[in-house]
Amino acid sequence: MGLDFHVIWDNLTYFFIGRYPHGPLGGVALTFYLAVVSCILSFFGGMFLGLLAISRNRVIRYASEAVIQIVRGMPLLMVIFWMYFLYPALMGRAMPESQTVILALTFFTSAYMSQIVKAGIEGIPKGQTEAAISTGLTHRHTMIYVILPQALRNMIPSFVNQFVSLIKDTSLAFIVGVSELTHVATQINNRSLIYPTEIFLFIAVVYFIFCYAFTTLSRWLEKRLAWAKAI
Amino acid sequence: MIRFEGVHKFFGKLHVLNNVNLHVKKGEVVVVCGPSGSGKSTLIRTINQLEPINEGKLIVDGMDLSDPKVNINKLRAEVGFVFQQFNLYPHLTALKNITLAPIKIRGATKREAEEQAVALLTRVGLAEKKDAHPSQLSGGQQQRVAIARALAMKPKIMLFDEPTSALDPEMIGEVLDVMKDLAQSGMTMMVVTHEMGFAREVSHRVCFIDFGTILEEAEPAEFFKNPKHERLKQFLKQVLSPMH
Repeated sequence: MGLDFHVIWDNLTYFFIGRYPHGPLGGVALTFYLAVVSCILSFFGGMFLGLLAISRNRVIRYASEAVIQIVRGMPLLMVIFWMYFLYPALMGRAMPESQTVILALTFFTSAYMSQIVKAGIEGIPKGQTEAAISTGLTHRHTMIYVILPQALRNMIPSFVNQFVSLIKDTSLAFIVGVSELTHVATQINNRSLIYPTEIFLFIAVVYFIFCYAFTTLSRWLEKRLAWAKAI
Repeated sequence: MIRFEGVHKFFGKLHVLNNVNLHVKKGEVVVVCGPSGSGKSTLIRTINQLEPINEGKLIVDGMDLSDPKVNINKLRAEVGFVFQQFNLYPHLTALKNITLAPIKIRGATKREAEEQAVALLTRVGLAEKKDAHPSQLSGGQQQRVAIARALAMKPKIMLFDEPTSALDPEMIGEVLDVMKDLAQSGMTMMVVTHEMGFAREVSHRVCFIDFGTILEEAEPAEFFKNPKHERLKQFLKQVLSPMH
């Protein structure tokens, strides 16, 4: 059977921006938006949770560990449903679906990121902390100026893994009706009916390009930060 | 400056410091030696509380370390520490390794701190390396930067924990020279080392420690000529003529 990519060209604008500007932003643009915002938020969320997880206060440490373990033990889809159904029930008001998804992705990814942060910090030799506190630096200064700059660099490859997963996980937003790329694709497929191969091949390529571009970018970043690691 | 009174330290069941009594006066240079595992590193690390003590009294620069109200960061700012493994910050240049603490803790401006750092690097003979990262420096150079970093806080006491043990033989001299220079400037120093030449030539007193106890303490001439303790005689024989 021959492939007919006319269905892609005919719907190209819809694939890329959804009904915008006559309706909400959708398609590739929305996927991009979800991914970027969730990435940024979960970077900070992961740092925050990770730092709590190595706190010298035992209560804080255990509490954050518990949150991390619980989130890691749940499917992402369930976290999205939770946010979607529970948030309005608890807070008494609804939230736009795309924000629900951002929140769920951030929450979920932060839990994983926190483990990367924790391992990254613990992977810096103890001598670095000892040297810093020996000059009179406080633990906070030591963390900010000595440990984190080294640890963050080591974390980059793991962060990238996590962010690539996150980009792909945005596709789960379609389950709560957010019109990101996968959702748009199913709509077009439902309308045209006879081009599923073309449509899903196309979005596969788009996701791939997204992830590949991101990986390349981070590799470049990593090289630019290539101060020598070894003492 | 430093006074140990009946100090004990345990790692679990291991009794690392057993009733240590020692007094280091202002301007004195005291060398601590002993076999590996004898507790000499632990001893020197208790002085700036990298290892807290379990029993006894330890007074450093008039501050009683067993007093919970003592500001430990303030104490550490007054006590320079030089490590066996240098522990320079690999992501910072030599200059920034030195200026970090003075800027953050002493409230020095960037310019003041940098001027001081350059002066210190000149003193240790590394002025031209100020923009080098630690990985671009040899072991001996790294250790000299580490000494400059400790001196940048204008400490009253300098502690050295086997500063030359991780160095290639031809680099030991350059580090010892810096330490000797420092000793002659009147710095109060405590040095854990196997460099008996340094002990003999520079120190005012030498302590021999084994099983966490100071077994012998004497002026260098006496220490090397007339060792009293059997363990010390053995130790000196091995350290001074390792081929036998």
